Amino acid sequence: MDSRLNKKSSLFGFAILLIELAHPVFGQPHTETAREIEALKGLSIEQLSAIDITSVSKRSERLIDSPSAIQVISSEDIRRSGASSLAEALRLAPNLQVAQVDSRQWAVSSRGFNSVTADKLLVLIDGRTVYTPLFSGVFWDAQNVMLEDIDRIEVISGPGATLWGANAVNGVINVTTKSARETQGTLVSAGGGSFLKDFTSIRYGDKIGKDVYFRLYGMGFQRDTTLLPNGRDGNNDWSLAQGGFRADWLPPQGEMLTLQGDFYGSEIEQLAPGDSRTDGQNVLSRWAHPIADGSDLIIQTYWDRTWRRIPNVLSDDLNTYDLDVQHRIVLSDRNKLVSGLGYRLMADEVGNSAAIAFLPERRNLQLFGGFVQDETELVEDRLILTLGSKIEHNDYSGFQFQPSIRLAWTPITNQTVWAAVSRAVRSPSRIDADVVAPGVPPYSLQGGGNGFESERLIAYELGYHTQLTRRLGMSIAGFYNDYDDIRSVEFLPGSTTQTIIVNGLRAKTYGAEFSLLWEPIDGWRLRGGYTYFKKRLLDTGSDVNHGTAEGNDPHHQVVLQSMVDLPAHLEFDSLVRYVDNLDEIGPTVPAYISMDLRLGWKPFPHWEFSIVGQNLLDNQHPEFGPLSTRQEIPRSVYGKVTWTF
Amino acid sequence: MNRYFSIQAGRVRRPEGSFFGNAARLMAAIFFLIFSIALTNGEVDRANQVKAVFLFRLTQFVEWPARAFEFSQSPIIIGVLGEDPFGEALAAAIKGEKVGERPLIIRYYRRVEEVQACHVLFISRSETAKVDAIVAALMGRSILTVSEIEDFVLKHHGMIRFMTEQNKVNLRINLETAKAAGLELSSRLLRVAEVVPKR
Repeated sequence: MDSRLNKKSSLFGFAILLIELAHPVFGQPHTETAREIEALKGLSIEQLSAIDITSVSKRSERLIDSPSAIQVISSEDIRRSGASSLAEALRLAPNLQVAQVDSRQWAVSSRGFNSVTADKLLVLIDGRTVYTPLFSGVFWDAQNVMLEDIDRIEVISGPGATLWGANAVNGVINVTTKSARETQGTLVSAGGGSFLKDFTSIRYGDKIGKDVYFRLYGMGFQRDTTLLPNGRDGNNDWSLAQGGFRADWLPPQGEMLTLQGDFYGSEIEQLAPGDSRTDGQNVLSRWAHPIADGSDLIIQTYWDRTWRRIPNVLSDDLNTYDLDVQHRIVLSDRNKLVSGLGYRLMADEVGNSAAIAFLPERRNLQLFGGFVQDETELVEDRLILTLGSKIEHNDYSGFQFQPSIRLAWTPITNQTVWAAVSRAVRSPSRIDADVVAPGVPPYSLQGGGNGFESERLIAYELGYHTQLTRRLGMSIAGFYNDYDDIRSVEFLPGSTTQTIIVNGLRAKTYGAEFSLLWEPIDGWRLRGGYTYFKKRLLDTGSDVNHGTAEGNDPHHQVVLQSMVDLPAHLEFDSLVRYVDNLDEIGPTVPAYISMDLRLGWKPFPHWEFSIVGQNLLDNQHPEFGPLSTRQEIPRSVYGKVTWTF
Repeated sequence: MNRYFSIQAGRVRRPEGSFFGNAARLMAAIFFLIFSIALTNGEVDRANQVKAVFLFRLTQFVEWPARAFEFSQSPIIIGVLGEDPFGEALAAAIKGEKVGERPLIIRYYRRVEEVQACHVLFISRSETAKVDAIVAALMGRSILTVSEIEDFVLKHHGMIRFMTEQNKVNLRINLETAKAAGLELSSRLLRVAEVVPKR
C-alpha cells in the first residue's frame, strides 16, 4: 500500500481520535440537561424530595453579588476531595491557610497570623461559635462533623465583625449541615488505611408525623501518629467517638424549627506523663419564623460544654450558654435592614499545673451586644451600599464598636466590583489576661489582666467577582490591613527575667486572593486559587519574641482541585497544593507541594467505593511548627465503602 | 531540570524574582482559555428536571395489577397530557432504564381520549380547566395520575401531586384513589410523601 496514503489515513485517524477524546470520553451524555438528569438519577427518592431546586446560577448570582471575599465548599467538593475531617475539608478553600501540625492539631487562618492558637478567625458550626475563650482560637480536634452531613462551608476572608461580632477579624468559617429532611434513609460508611487507620459513620433518618424529620448519627475513627523529622513514631495516635441528632420541623408555611445536638469523646496518645483526653456535649435550638414579604425572625439558643485534660499541663472545662435573636425586615423594594441581639455566658474552669496556670481558675465571662446593618440599592440592581455596626461588650475591654461600609457595583449582570472599609477587634482572651507561667511564683510570664486591650484592625478591601459563562466563575480580592495593639510580651520595668503580656505591636499586611471555578468540558470540574500575602510587624523592639510569636504565614499558596467523571461510573479526583516556605520563625518550614488523589466507583445506585491517597509526593513533610516540637505528615492511603438505602 | 522550579520529593525551591514572570504567563494562559469558552444555553429548569426524574422513579415504587400489561416484558408507558414541560429531561430520565423486565416508553397526548395503554399519566398545567373531566375519563383504569395542578389531590381526585415548597419538590399522595384504581404504592414511597387522607 502507498505509504503516503497510510500516513495520511493514520493522521486522519489521529484527528478523529482527538475529536472523540475531546467530548464523549467522559462517558456522559452530551447535553447539560442530560448530564444533570444523570446526576439526579443517582439520588434516592428521599434525596430527590430533599434536593434544592433553586437553580445553581441563581445561587452563584447571590455569591457574585456579595460584597466580600467569600468562597464556598460544597458537599460534593468535600466528597470528591477525599477529605476525612473538617480541617482537611478546609484545605479546599483557597482563601484559607491550613497547616496540619500533628494527628489532631491544625493551624488555620486567613490573611495571616496563623498558628495552632490562631486567634483572629471566627468559626461557626450550624450557628454555634466554637472558639475557646482560653485563647480566642479553635481546638480543631474537638470540632468533628460527619462530613456526609455537611451541606456547605462558607469561608469569608476579611472582617465579618459587623454581622458576626468579635473575633471575626481576619475571616469567618461557617459550616452548615443539611436539614434532617435531606438526610432521610440510612447511610453506612466505613474504611481504613495507613494513617487514617479505621473509621465508621452511620446515620439513620426518618420522619415522624407530617412535617417532622430527624436523623441520628454515630461516628468514630482511629488515626495514626504523625512522624518525627527522623521518621520515628511521633506518639500522638488519636481516636474519637461521636454521636448526635438533628430534628427539623418544617410546616408548609415556611417556618423552621430545629433541635440538634452532639456528644463526643477522644483520646490522644502522649508518651509522658500520659494520654490527653477530651469530651464534650452540645444542644442547639433554632426557630426561623417568616413574617410577610421577605422579612423574618430567627431565635437561636445553645449550650455547649467542652472539656480537655492534658496531663501535667492543663485541664479546661468550658460551659457556654448563648442566646441570639436576628430580625430581617424589608423596608422597601430597595432597602433591607438586619438587626440582632446576643448574649453569651462562658463559664470556664481551668485545672492549673506547675507549668502554667490561669488565675483565677474559674471565671464567668459575659459577652453581650447588638448589631444593625442596612442594605440600600442606590441604583436599582446596580449599586448597593451596605452600612452597619456591631456594638459588643466583653468583661476585659468593655464596649467595642465594629462598623463597616461596603459598596457593590454591578455594571453588567454577573460582574461585580466591590469595596469595603471595616473596623474589627479581637477581644482579649484568658491567655492574654489571666495566664501565668510557671504555675507558682516567681512568674517569668504573666497575663496583662485588665490592662490588656482588644487588638484592633482597620481593613481596606477591593474585589471583583465575575460569572463569565455558566462554566466559568472567577474572583479576585485585594486587601490592606492596618493592625494596632497586637499582643506582645515585654519585660516588666527594671526586670530582665519577668515578662508581661501587653499590646505593644503594630502590623500592616497586604495581599491578594484569586479564585476560579471552571468546568472546561462536561464531566470535568476545576476549582482553586492563588493567594499572595505579605506581613510587616512594627514596634517589635520591645517584644521578647520580636513579633515572631504572632503567626507564621506563607507568601504564596496555590490550591487546585480537579474532579473528573469517567465512564463506567468512575470518578478520578485530585487536590494539589503548593505552600511557600514559612520563614518568620527560624528554622523555616520549607515550601512544599502536596497531592491527594481519589478514585471513586459507583457500580450500583446505593454503593460507592473509593480509594484515596493523601500527601503522595513525599514520604513525609512538615507543614508547621518550630523544629523542637515539629511533626511531619506521612504519605497515606485509605479505602472507603459507602452504602445508602 | 526545569528552569523555574526544581522539585525534589515534593518540595520546591524557586529562584527569586522568576515567580512573577511565570505567574504572569500562567495568568495570560488562563485568561486565553477563559475567553475561548462558549456560552451554553437552553437548559430545562431544575424543578422540571427533578419532576422528570420523579416520574421515572415512581414506576419503581408502584405495582400495577397484572391486567395492566399484556406480557411480562410489555413496557411501562409514561404519558404526558397537554403541554410538555420536561423537554429532553424526561427522555434522559428513562434512557437505558428498565423496571424489572419492563422497558419504559414516553407517549405525548393532546386530549384524554387519546390515552390508550398508559401506566403513569402526567397531566400538565395547561389542562387545569379540564382536570375534573380528565380524571373522570380515567376512572376505573389502572393509571397513576400525577400533576402539579393546585388541589389535584385534595379536590380533583388525582393520585399524586408535585408540591413545591421551600425550594423542594415534594409529593402529596391520595392513597385511596390509587387503591381504587388497583395500584399498590410501596411504603417507602409513602414515607417520603404527605399522604391524604391521613392514616
